[in-house]
Amino acid sequence: MNKIPYGVGVFLMVLAVVVLVDQSAVASGAPGTESVTDRINHATEPYDSMKVTTAHELSAKTVQSKEQYQGGDFKILARKGEISRFRCSVCHNDKPILAQNGVLFTHGDVKLNHGLGKNQLTCNECHSMGNRDFLVNKEGRKIDFDHSYQLCGKCHFRQKRDWLGGAHGKRETYWGGERVVRNCTSCHNPHSPAFATKMPATYSLPLDE
Amino acid sequence: MDSRTNNADQVEKEGMADNKSSRRQFLKKMSIAAAAGSASLVVGGCGGSPKSEEMGLKWEEYFKEHYRLMTQEEKDATVKRLERLAKLERGVDVQISNQGPHEQVLYGYAFNISRCKGYMDCVEACVKENNLDRRAKTQYVRIFEMDPGKLDPTAGDGQFYHEVPVKNKFYMGVQCFHCENAPCIKACPTKATWREPDGIVVVDYDWCSGCRYCLAACPYWGRRFNWGDPEVPKEEINLNQHYLGNRMRMKGVMEKCTFCVQRTRKGKLPACADACPTGSRVFGNLLDPNSEIRFVLKNKKVFRFKEDLGTDPKFWYFMD
Repeated sequence: MNKIPYGVGVFLMVLAVVVLVDQSAVASGAPGTESVTDRINHATEPYDSMKVTTAHELSAKTVQSKEQYQGGDFKILARKGEISRFRCSVCHNDKPILAQNGVLFTHGDVKLNHGLGKNQLTCNECHSMGNRDFLVNKEGRKIDFDHSYQLCGKCHFRQKRDWLGGAHGKRETYWGGERVVRNCTSCHNPHSPAFATKMPATYSLPLDE
Repeated sequence: MDSRTNNADQVEKEGMADNKSSRRQFLKKMSIAAAAGSASLVVGGCGGSPKSEEMGLKWEEYFKEHYRLMTQEEKDATVKRLERLAKLERGVDVQISNQGPHEQVLYGYAFNISRCKGYMDCVEACVKENNLDRRAKTQYVRIFEMDPGKLDPTAGDGQFYHEVPVKNKFYMGVQCFHCENAPCIKACPTKATWREPDGIVVVDYDWCSGCRYCLAACPYWGRRFNWGDPEVPKEEINLNQHYLGNRMRMKGVMEKCTFCVQRTRKGKLPACADACPTGSRVFGNLLDPNSEIRFVLKNKKVFRFKEDLGTDPKFWYFMD
Protein backbone atom coordinates (compact mmCIF):
# COMPACT_ATOMS: atom_id res chain seq x y z
CA MET A 1 0.00 0.00 0.00
CA ASN A 2 1.35 3.39 -0.86
CA LYS A 3 0.93 5.76 2.07
CA ILE A 4 -0.04 9.39 1.71
CA PRO A 5 2.39 11.64 3.58
CA TYR A 6 0.91 13.23 6.73
CA GLY A 7 1.25 16.79 5.40
CA VAL A 8 -0.58 16.00 2.17
CA GLY A 9 -3.41 14.31 4.12
CA VAL A 10 -3.94 17.37 6.31
CA PHE A 11 -3.88 19.59 3.23
CA LEU A 12 -6.53 17.47 1.50
CA MET A 13 -8.77 17.57 4.58
CA VAL A 14 -8.49 21.35 4.84
CA LEU A 15 -9.28 21.62 1.13
CA ALA A 16 -12.35 19.40 1.53
CA VAL A 17 -13.63 21.54 4.44
CA VAL A 18 -13.09 24.75 2.44
CA VAL A 19 -14.97 23.36 -0.54
CA LEU A 20 -17.86 22.16 1.65
CA VAL A 21 -18.14 25.51 3.47
CA ASP A 22 -18.06 27.33 0.16
CA GLN A 23 -20.83 25.16 -1.24
CA SER A 24 -23.04 25.60 1.81
CA ALA A 25 -22.56 29.38 1.57
CA VAL A 26 -23.82 29.27 -2.00
CA ALA A 27 -26.73 27.05 -1.04
CA SER A 28 -27.91 29.50 1.65
CA GLY A 29 -28.50 32.35 -0.77
CA ALA A 30 -28.99 32.98 -4.46
CA PRO A 31 -26.18 31.61 -6.64
CA GLY A 32 -23.11 33.79 -6.35
CA THR A 33 -24.56 36.05 -3.67
CA GLU A 34 -24.63 36.25 0.09
CA SER A 35 -27.79 35.72 2.10
CA VAL A 36 -29.75 38.79 3.18
CA THR A 37 -28.65 38.30 6.78
CA ASP A 38 -24.99 38.28 5.74
CA ARG A 39 -25.43 41.38 3.62
CA ILE A 40 -27.15 43.16 6.50
CA ASN A 41 -24.42 42.16 8.93
CA HIS A 42 -21.72 43.41 6.58
CA ALA A 43 -23.45 46.74 5.95
CA THR A 44 -22.20 48.90 8.80
CA GLU A 45 -21.57 52.10 6.86
CA PRO A 46 -24.48 54.58 7.24
CA TYR A 47 -26.26 55.34 3.96
CA ASP A 48 -26.53 59.00 3.08
CA SER A 49 -30.22 59.10 2.22
CA MET A 50 -29.89 62.71 1.05
CA LYS A 51 -28.46 61.10 -2.10
CA VAL A 52 -32.06 60.29 -3.01
CA THR A 53 -32.59 63.69 -4.55
CA THR A 54 -36.16 62.98 -5.66
CA ALA A 55 -37.27 62.95 -2.02
CA HIS A 56 -38.62 66.48 -1.99
CA GLU A 57 -39.37 68.71 0.94
CA LEU A 58 -42.83 68.08 2.35
CA SER A 59 -45.57 70.64 2.03
CA ALA A 60 -46.64 69.90 5.61
CA LYS A 61 -45.09 72.04 8.36
CA THR A 62 -42.32 70.28 10.27
CA VAL A 63 -40.18 71.03 13.32
CA GLN A 64 -36.79 69.78 14.43
CA SER A 65 -37.07 67.09 17.07
CA LYS A 66 -35.53 67.84 20.47
CA GLU A 67 -34.28 64.29 20.72
CA GLN A 68 -32.19 62.14 18.42
CA TYR A 69 -32.62 58.78 16.78
CA GLN A 70 -29.84 56.31 15.89
CA GLY A 71 -29.00 58.38 12.81
CA GLY A 72 -28.85 61.77 14.59
CA ASP A 73 -31.26 64.68 14.19
CA PHE A 74 -34.65 64.30 12.54
CA LYS A 75 -37.84 66.22 11.96
CA ILE A 76 -41.43 65.67 13.05
CA LEU A 77 -44.72 66.94 11.72
CA ALA A 78 -45.74 70.11 13.57
CA ARG A 79 -48.82 69.96 15.78
CA LYS A 80 -49.68 73.51 16.77
CA GLY A 81 -50.99 74.48 13.34
CA GLU A 82 -53.39 71.53 13.50
CA ILE A 83 -55.06 72.65 16.73
CA SER A 84 -58.01 74.70 15.57
CA ARG A 85 -58.13 77.09 18.53
CA PHE A 86 -54.45 77.50 19.30
CA ARG A 87 -53.23 79.72 21.05
CA CYS A 88 -55.21 78.72 24.06
CA SER A 89 -54.36 81.91 25.92
CA VAL A 90 -56.57 83.84 23.49
CA CYS A 91 -59.48 82.60 25.62
CA HIS A 92 -57.69 81.37 28.74
CA ASN A 93 -56.74 84.76 30.15
CA ASP A 94 -57.96 87.22 32.75
CA LYS A 95 -60.49 88.94 30.50
CA PRO A 96 -64.11 88.30 31.42
CA ILE A 97 -66.28 86.35 28.96
CA LEU A 98 -70.00 86.53 28.34
CA ALA A 99 -72.12 83.63 29.54
CA GLN A 100 -73.82 83.39 26.12
CA ASN A 101 -70.47 82.36 24.61
CA GLY A 102 -70.05 79.64 27.18
CA VAL A 103 -70.87 76.78 24.82
CA LEU A 104 -68.19 77.93 22.40
CA PHE A 105 -65.61 78.51 25.08
CA THR A 106 -65.94 75.29 27.01
CA HIS A 107 -64.59 72.11 25.44
CA GLY A 108 -67.86 70.20 25.33
CA ASP A 109 -66.74 68.32 22.21
CA VAL A 110 -63.79 66.72 23.97
CA LYS A 111 -64.54 63.21 25.24
CA LEU A 112 -61.84 61.98 27.54
CA ASN A 113 -61.09 58.27 27.25
CA HIS A 114 -57.44 58.03 28.11
CA GLY A 115 -56.38 55.48 30.71
CA LEU A 116 -57.48 52.01 31.69
CA GLY A 117 -60.80 51.39 33.45
CA LYS A 118 -61.37 53.79 36.30
CA ASN A 119 -57.88 55.30 36.03
CA GLN A 120 -58.95 57.97 33.53
CA LEU A 121 -56.75 61.01 33.11
CA THR A 122 -58.14 64.48 33.69
CA CYS A 123 -57.40 67.67 31.72
CA ASN A 124 -54.72 69.05 33.97
CA GLU A 125 -52.65 65.90 34.08
CA CYS A 126 -51.39 66.93 30.64
CA HIS A 127 -52.45 70.58 30.20
CA SER A 128 -50.63 73.25 32.20
CA MET A 129 -52.80 75.10 34.75
CA GLY A 130 -50.47 78.08 34.80
CA ASN A 131 -49.89 78.56 31.07
CA ARG A 132 -52.54 77.07 28.82
CA ASP A 133 -50.32 77.36 25.74
CA PHE A 134 -48.24 74.46 27.03
CA LEU A 135 -48.53 70.91 28.25
CA VAL A 136 -46.99 69.99 31.57
CA ASN A 137 -45.43 66.83 32.93
CA LYS A 138 -45.51 65.47 36.48
CA GLU A 139 -42.29 67.31 37.33
CA GLY A 140 -43.95 70.60 36.45
CA ARG A 141 -41.89 71.15 33.31
CA LYS A 142 -43.65 72.97 30.47
CA ILE A 143 -43.81 71.01 27.20
CA ASP A 144 -44.46 72.48 23.78
CA PHE A 145 -47.46 71.09 21.87
CA ASP A 146 -45.14 70.33 18.93
CA HIS A 147 -43.04 68.09 21.16
CA SER A 148 -45.74 66.12 22.94
CA TYR A 149 -43.60 62.94 22.71
CA GLN A 150 -41.72 64.35 25.69
CA LEU A 151 -44.95 64.10 27.69
CA CYS A 152 -46.49 60.94 26.20
CA GLY A 153 -43.19 59.12 26.62
CA LYS A 154 -43.34 59.61 30.38
CA CYS A 155 -45.90 56.81 30.61
CA HIS A 156 -45.53 55.19 27.19
CA PHE A 157 -41.75 54.92 27.36
CA ARG A 158 -41.60 51.66 25.39
CA GLN A 159 -43.60 53.20 22.58
CA LYS A 160 -41.39 56.29 22.67
CA ARG A 161 -38.23 54.20 22.41
CA ASP A 162 -39.71 52.36 19.42
CA TRP A 163 -40.96 55.62 17.89
CA LEU A 164 -37.50 57.19 18.08
CA GLY A 165 -35.96 54.13 16.44
CA GLY A 166 -38.69 53.62 13.85
CA ALA A 167 -40.60 50.53 15.02
CA HIS A 168 -43.62 52.57 16.24
CA GLY A 169 -45.31 55.31 14.24
CA LYS A 170 -44.26 56.03 10.70
CA ARG A 171 -42.28 58.20 8.35
CA GLU A 172 -44.12 60.76 6.27
CA THR A 173 -44.28 59.86 2.54
CA TYR A 174 -40.55 59.16 2.01
CA TRP A 175 -38.09 56.49 3.09
CA GLY A 176 -35.24 58.53 1.58
CA GLY A 177 -34.16 62.11 2.01
CA GLU A 178 -34.52 63.88 5.31
CA ARG A 179 -36.13 61.82 8.06
CA VAL A 180 -39.59 63.23 8.82
CA VAL A 181 -41.82 61.19 11.12
CA ARG A 182 -45.34 61.70 12.34
CA ASN A 183 -45.78 62.90 15.89
CA CYS A 184 -47.88 61.05 18.50
CA THR A 185 -50.99 63.11 17.82
CA SER A 186 -50.77 62.70 14.02
CA CYS A 187 -52.26 59.24 14.51
CA HIS A 188 -53.67 59.20 18.06
CA ASN A 189 -56.37 61.50 19.36
CA PRO A 190 -54.69 62.48 22.65
CA HIS A 191 -58.05 62.59 24.44
CA SER A 192 -59.04 59.12 23.23
CA PRO A 193 -55.87 57.49 21.92
CA ALA A 194 -57.10 53.96 21.20
CA PHE A 195 -57.96 53.20 17.56
CA ALA A 196 -61.66 52.82 16.81
CA THR A 197 -63.34 49.75 15.33
CA LYS A 198 -64.65 50.32 11.81
CA MET A 199 -65.45 48.55 8.56
CA PRO A 200 -62.42 47.64 6.43
CA ALA A 201 -61.73 49.76 3.33
CA THR A 202 -62.28 46.79 1.00
CA TYR A 203 -62.46 42.99 0.94
CA SER A 204 -60.70 40.12 -0.84
CA LEU A 205 -61.87 37.36 -3.13
CA PRO A 206 -60.51 33.80 -2.83
CA LEU A 207 -57.19 33.25 -4.60
CA ASP A 208 -57.23 31.13 -7.74
CA GLU A 209 -55.00 28.17 -7.15
CA MET B 1 -20.09 41.96 -1.87
CA ASP B 2 -21.83 44.08 -4.43
CA SER B 3 -19.23 43.37 -7.07
CA ARG B 4 -19.99 39.68 -6.59
CA THR B 5 -23.66 40.31 -7.17
CA ASN B 6 -22.93 42.39 -10.23
CA ASN B 7 -20.55 39.76 -11.61
CA ALA B 8 -23.19 37.10 -11.23
CA ASP B 9 -25.65 39.42 -12.99
CA GLN B 10 -23.18 40.03 -15.76
CA VAL B 11 -22.45 36.35 -16.31
CA GLU B 12 -26.15 35.59 -16.40
CA LYS B 13 -26.83 38.37 -18.89
CA GLU B 14 -24.02 37.25 -21.17
CA GLY B 15 -25.40 33.73 -21.04
CA MET B 16 -28.75 35.08 -22.13
CA ALA B 17 -27.20 37.02 -24.97
CA ASP B 18 -25.29 33.99 -26.25
CA ASN B 19 -28.31 31.75 -26.27
CA LYS B 20 -30.47 33.75 -28.53
CA SER B 21 -28.31 36.08 -30.54
CA SER B 22 -28.35 34.30 -33.87
CA ARG B 23 -32.02 33.36 -33.87
CA ARG B 24 -33.17 36.71 -32.58
CA GLN B 25 -30.98 38.66 -34.94
CA PHE B 26 -32.34 36.64 -37.81
CA LEU B 27 -35.90 37.37 -36.69
CA LYS B 28 -35.06 41.03 -36.30
CA LYS B 29 -33.71 41.30 -39.82
CA MET B 30 -36.77 39.48 -41.09
CA SER B 31 -38.99 41.85 -39.17
CA ILE B 32 -37.29 44.92 -40.60
CA ALA B 33 -37.68 43.55 -44.11
CA ALA B 34 -41.31 42.69 -43.46
CA ALA B 35 -41.91 46.06 -41.80
CA ALA B 36 -40.58 47.85 -44.83
CA GLY B 37 -42.92 45.82 -47.00
CA SER B 38 -45.99 46.26 -44.82
CA ALA B 39 -45.25 49.95 -44.18
CA SER B 40 -45.29 50.66 -47.89
CA LEU B 41 -48.57 48.76 -48.15
CA VAL B 42 -50.11 50.67 -45.27
CA VAL B 43 -48.91 54.02 -46.50
CA GLY B 44 -50.30 53.19 -49.89
CA GLY B 45 -53.67 52.31 -48.27
CA CYS B 46 -54.46 55.01 -45.67
CA GLY B 47 -51.44 57.27 -45.24
CA GLY B 48 -50.41 57.98 -41.62
CA SER B 49 -53.68 57.26 -39.78
CA PRO B 50 -53.51 56.69 -35.98
CA LYS B 51 -54.31 53.04 -36.64
CA SER B 52 -51.22 52.55 -38.78
CA GLU B 53 -49.10 54.42 -36.22
CA GLU B 54 -50.42 52.07 -33.55
CA MET B 55 -49.66 49.07 -35.73
CA GLY B 56 -46.15 50.30 -36.37
CA LEU B 57 -45.45 50.89 -32.68
CA LYS B 58 -46.81 47.47 -31.76
CA TRP B 59 -44.66 45.90 -34.45
CA GLU B 60 -41.53 47.54 -33.03
CA GLU B 61 -42.55 46.59 -29.50
CA TYR B 62 -42.97 42.98 -30.54
CA PHE B 63 -39.39 42.70 -31.75
CA LYS B 64 -37.67 44.62 -28.99
CA GLU B 65 -34.91 43.25 -26.75
CA HIS B 66 -35.22 41.75 -23.29
CA TYR B 67 -35.27 44.68 -20.83
CA ARG B 68 -32.06 43.62 -19.09
CA LEU B 69 -30.19 43.50 -22.39
CA MET B 70 -31.38 46.90 -23.59
CA THR B 71 -29.09 49.88 -23.71
CA GLN B 72 -30.31 53.07 -22.06
CA GLU B 73 -31.32 54.41 -25.50
CA GLU B 74 -33.37 51.30 -26.21
CA LYS B 75 -35.04 51.60 -22.79
CA ASP B 76 -35.90 55.23 -23.49
CA ALA B 77 -37.25 54.27 -26.90
CA THR B 78 -39.52 51.48 -25.62
CA VAL B 79 -40.83 53.72 -22.87
CA LYS B 80 -41.60 56.41 -25.41
CA ARG B 81 -43.43 53.88 -27.61
CA LEU B 82 -45.44 52.57 -24.66
CA GLU B 83 -46.41 56.11 -23.65
CA ARG B 84 -47.59 56.83 -27.18
CA LEU B 85 -49.47 53.52 -27.31
CA ALA B 86 -51.23 54.36 -24.04
CA LYS B 87 -52.31 57.63 -25.62
CA LEU B 88 -53.54 55.95 -28.81
CA GLU B 89 -55.24 52.98 -27.15
CA ARG B 90 -56.66 54.51 -23.98
CA GLY B 91 -56.38 58.26 -24.52
CA VAL B 92 -54.33 58.83 -21.36
CA ASP B 93 -51.08 60.81 -20.98
CA VAL B 94 -48.98 58.43 -18.91
CA GLN B 95 -45.39 58.94 -17.84
CA ILE B 96 -43.44 55.69 -17.84
CA SER B 97 -40.11 55.74 -16.03
CA ASN B 98 -37.19 53.38 -16.53
CA GLN B 99 -35.26 54.67 -13.55
CA GLY B 100 -32.66 52.17 -12.35
CA PRO B 101 -31.79 51.15 -8.80
CA HIS B 102 -29.87 53.28 -6.30
CA GLU B 103 -26.46 52.02 -5.28
CA GLN B 104 -26.00 50.71 -1.75
CA VAL B 105 -29.74 50.23 -1.36
CA LEU B 106 -31.46 46.93 -0.61
CA TYR B 107 -35.13 47.29 0.16
CA GLY B 108 -36.67 45.47 3.10
CA TYR B 109 -40.05 45.41 4.75
CA ALA B 110 -41.31 44.67 8.24
CA PHE B 111 -44.90 44.09 9.31
CA ASN B 112 -46.06 44.57 12.90
CA ILE B 113 -48.58 41.81 13.65
CA SER B 114 -49.44 43.31 17.04
CA ARG B 115 -50.41 46.71 15.55
CA CYS B 116 -52.31 45.86 12.36
CA LYS B 117 -56.04 46.28 12.87
CA GLY B 118 -57.28 44.87 9.57
CA TYR B 119 -58.54 48.20 8.20
CA MET B 120 -57.24 47.21 4.73
CA ASP B 121 -56.37 50.76 3.70
CA CYS B 122 -53.13 49.23 2.37
CA VAL B 123 -55.01 46.96 -0.04
CA GLU B 124 -57.13 49.85 -1.31
CA ALA B 125 -54.08 52.09 -1.81
CA CYS B 126 -52.19 49.32 -3.61
CA VAL B 127 -55.04 48.71 -6.07
CA LYS B 128 -55.18 52.41 -6.98
CA GLU B 129 -51.42 52.94 -7.13
CA ASN B 130 -50.64 49.90 -9.24
CA ASN B 131 -53.56 50.08 -11.71
CA LEU B 132 -54.83 46.67 -10.66
CA ASP B 133 -57.66 44.99 -12.53
CA ARG B 134 -60.91 46.23 -11.01
CA ARG B 135 -63.05 43.62 -12.73
CA ALA B 136 -61.20 40.54 -11.47
CA LYS B 137 -60.50 42.43 -8.22
CA THR B 138 -56.78 41.68 -8.34
CA GLN B 139 -54.97 42.51 -5.10
CA TYR B 140 -51.27 42.18 -4.35
CA VAL B 141 -51.73 42.55 -0.60
CA ARG B 142 -53.86 40.19 1.46
CA ILE B 143 -54.76 40.58 5.11
CA PHE B 144 -55.64 37.50 7.14
CA GLU B 145 -57.65 37.55 10.34
CA MET B 146 -55.87 35.18 12.67
CA ASP B 147 -56.57 33.35 15.91
CA PRO B 148 -54.04 33.83 18.69
CA GLY B 149 -51.14 31.40 18.60
CA LYS B 150 -51.39 30.75 14.85
CA LEU B 151 -48.66 32.15 12.63
CA ASP B 152 -49.57 30.52 9.32
CA PRO B 153 -51.91 32.63 7.18
CA THR B 154 -53.54 29.49 5.74
CA ALA B 155 -55.05 29.02 9.21
CA GLY B 156 -56.58 32.52 9.06
CA ASP B 157 -59.54 34.13 7.33
CA GLY B 158 -58.52 36.05 4.20
CA GLN B 159 -62.03 37.13 3.24
CA PHE B 160 -63.31 38.87 6.36
CA TYR B 161 -65.65 41.81 5.93
CA HIS B 162 -66.98 43.04 9.26
CA GLU B 163 -66.05 45.65 11.85
CA VAL B 164 -62.40 45.38 12.72
CA PRO B 165 -60.42 44.81 14.87
CA VAL B 166 -62.24 41.87 16.42
CA LYS B 167 -61.31 41.17 20.02
CA ASN B 168 -58.81 38.34 20.45
CA LYS B 169 -57.88 38.25 16.76
CA PHE B 170 -54.76 39.57 15.13
CA TYR B 171 -54.13 40.56 11.54
CA MET B 172 -51.33 39.42 9.26
CA GLY B 173 -50.52 40.90 5.86
CA VAL B 174 -49.07 38.84 3.02
CA GLN B 175 -47.66 40.03 -0.29
CA CYS B 176 -44.61 39.32 -2.46
CA PHE B 177 -41.67 38.91 -0.07
CA HIS B 178 -39.01 39.73 -2.69
CA CYS B 179 -36.92 36.68 -1.80
CA GLU B 180 -33.18 36.90 -2.39
CA ASN B 181 -33.29 33.24 -3.39
CA ALA B 182 -36.62 33.42 -5.17
CA PRO B 183 -38.12 30.15 -6.49
CA CYS B 184 -40.29 32.05 -8.99
CA ILE B 185 -37.20 33.39 -10.79
CA LYS B 186 -35.78 29.89 -11.12
CA ALA B 187 -39.06 28.57 -12.48
CA CYS B 188 -39.38 31.11 -15.27
CA PRO B 189 -38.48 29.53 -18.64
CA THR B 190 -38.19 32.86 -20.48
CA LYS B 191 -36.23 34.83 -17.82
CA ALA B 192 -39.06 37.34 -17.80
CA THR B 193 -38.75 37.75 -14.04
CA TRP B 194 -35.60 38.61 -12.13
CA ARG B 195 -34.23 40.29 -9.03
CA GLU B 196 -32.98 43.84 -9.47
CA PRO B 197 -29.77 44.96 -7.69
CA ASP B 198 -31.88 46.80 -5.08
CA GLY B 199 -33.61 43.53 -4.25
CA ILE B 200 -36.95 44.06 -6.00
CA VAL B 201 -38.23 41.04 -7.91
CA VAL B 202 -39.76 42.36 -11.13
CA VAL B 203 -41.52 41.08 -14.24
CA ASP B 204 -41.04 42.26 -17.83
CA TYR B 205 -44.66 41.98 -18.93
CA ASP B 206 -43.60 42.02 -22.57
CA TRP B 207 -41.36 39.00 -22.09
CA CYS B 208 -43.74 36.91 -19.98
CA SER B 209 -45.28 34.02 -21.92
CA GLY B 210 -47.98 33.40 -19.32
CA CYS B 211 -47.00 29.83 -18.44
CA ARG B 212 -47.65 30.48 -14.70
CA TYR B 213 -44.76 28.28 -13.54
CA CYS B 214 -43.75 31.12 -11.21
CA LEU B 215 -47.22 31.16 -9.67
CA ALA B 216 -46.88 27.49 -8.90
CA ALA B 217 -43.32 27.90 -7.62
CA CYS B 218 -44.06 30.72 -5.17
CA PRO B 219 -44.74 29.29 -1.69
CA TYR B 220 -46.27 32.60 -0.54
CA TRP B 221 -49.05 33.13 -3.13
CA GLY B 222 -47.24 36.31 -4.17
CA ARG B 223 -48.08 36.28 -7.88
CA ARG B 224 -51.21 37.18 -9.82
CA PHE B 225 -52.22 36.16 -13.32
CA ASN B 226 -54.25 38.20 -15.79
CA TRP B 227 -56.88 35.81 -17.08
CA GLY B 228 -58.48 38.65 -18.98
CA ASP B 229 -57.55 42.13 -20.10
CA PRO B 230 -57.22 44.21 -16.92
CA GLU B 231 -59.91 46.88 -16.62
CA VAL B 232 -59.18 50.19 -14.94
CA PRO B 233 -61.56 53.16 -15.38
CA LYS B 234 -59.79 55.81 -17.45
CA GLU B 235 -60.09 58.49 -14.77
CA GLU B 236 -58.64 56.17 -12.12
CA ILE B 237 -55.47 55.23 -14.02
CA ASN B 238 -52.34 56.22 -12.11
CA LEU B 239 -50.32 58.14 -14.70
CA ASN B 240 -46.99 57.93 -12.87
CA GLN B 241 -45.77 54.56 -14.06
CA HIS B 242 -42.63 52.47 -14.30
CA TYR B 243 -41.69 49.97 -17.00
CA LEU B 244 -41.12 47.29 -14.35
CA GLY B 245 -43.98 48.45 -12.14
CA ASN B 246 -47.50 49.71 -12.56
CA ARG B 247 -47.68 50.27 -16.33
CA MET B 248 -50.76 48.71 -17.89
CA ARG B 249 -50.63 44.93 -18.08
CA MET B 250 -52.33 42.82 -20.71
CA LYS B 251 -54.21 39.55 -20.89
CA GLY B 252 -52.13 36.45 -20.25
CA VAL B 253 -49.22 37.89 -18.25
CA MET B 254 -48.07 37.53 -14.67
CA GLU B 255 -47.88 40.46 -12.30
CA LYS B 256 -46.98 41.00 -8.67
CA CYS B 257 -46.07 43.47 -5.95
CA THR B 258 -42.97 45.45 -6.96
CA PHE B 259 -42.56 47.32 -3.64
CA CYS B 260 -44.09 50.11 -5.81
CA VAL B 261 -40.87 50.45 -7.82
CA GLN B 262 -42.24 53.66 -9.39
CA ARG B 263 -42.43 55.20 -5.91
CA THR B 264 -39.56 53.62 -3.99
CA ARG B 265 -36.88 54.51 -6.51
CA LYS B 266 -37.99 58.12 -6.12
CA GLY B 267 -37.45 57.82 -2.37
CA LYS B 268 -41.12 57.35 -1.50
CA LEU B 269 -42.62 54.66 0.69
CA PRO B 270 -44.63 51.94 -1.09
CA ALA B 271 -48.32 52.86 -1.31
CA CYS B 272 -49.30 50.24 1.30
CA ALA B 273 -46.80 51.53 3.86
CA ASP B 274 -47.80 55.12 3.14
CA ALA B 275 -51.51 54.37 3.50
CA CYS B 276 -51.34 52.35 6.72
CA PRO B 277 -53.02 54.37 9.49
CA THR B 278 -51.58 52.22 12.28
CA GLY B 279 -47.86 52.31 11.48
CA SER B 280 -47.71 48.53 11.13
CA ARG B 281 -45.69 48.74 7.96
CA VAL B 282 -41.98 49.62 8.12
CA PHE B 283 -40.02 50.01 4.90
CA GLY B 284 -36.45 51.05 4.27
CA ASN B 285 -32.89 50.36 3.23
CA LEU B 286 -31.50 47.17 4.75
CA LEU B 287 -27.94 48.31 4.03
CA ASP B 288 -28.33 51.45 6.16
CA PRO B 289 -27.60 50.64 9.83
CA ASN B 290 -29.57 53.75 10.86
CA SER B 291 -32.75 52.91 8.94
CA GLU B 292 -36.05 52.08 10.63
CA ILE B 293 -36.09 48.58 9.20
CA ARG B 294 -32.67 47.87 10.68
CA PHE B 295 -33.89 49.15 14.06
CA VAL B 296 -36.76 46.67 13.90
CA LEU B 297 -34.48 43.78 12.97
CA LYS B 298 -32.08 44.66 15.78
CA ASN B 299 -34.52 45.43 18.59
CA LYS B 300 -37.71 43.47 17.94
CA LYS B 301 -38.78 39.86 17.92
CA VAL B 302 -38.85 39.12 14.22
CA PHE B 303 -39.57 36.08 12.10
CA ARG B 304 -39.98 35.33 8.43
CA PHE B 305 -42.72 33.18 6.93
CA LYS B 306 -41.57 29.68 5.94
CA GLU B 307 -37.96 30.60 6.61
CA ASP B 308 -37.02 26.91 6.50
CA LEU B 309 -37.57 26.85 2.72
CA GLY B 310 -34.36 28.86 2.25
CA THR B 311 -36.04 31.41 -0.01
CA ASP B 312 -34.46 34.20 2.04
CA PRO B 313 -37.37 36.70 1.89
CA LYS B 314 -36.81 40.39 2.60
CA PHE B 315 -40.08 40.67 4.52
CA TRP B 316 -40.14 40.22 8.30
CA TYR B 317 -42.98 40.03 10.80
CA PHE B 318 -42.45 41.57 14.19
CA MET B 319 -44.34 42.17 17.40
CA ASP B 320 -44.18 44.80 20.13
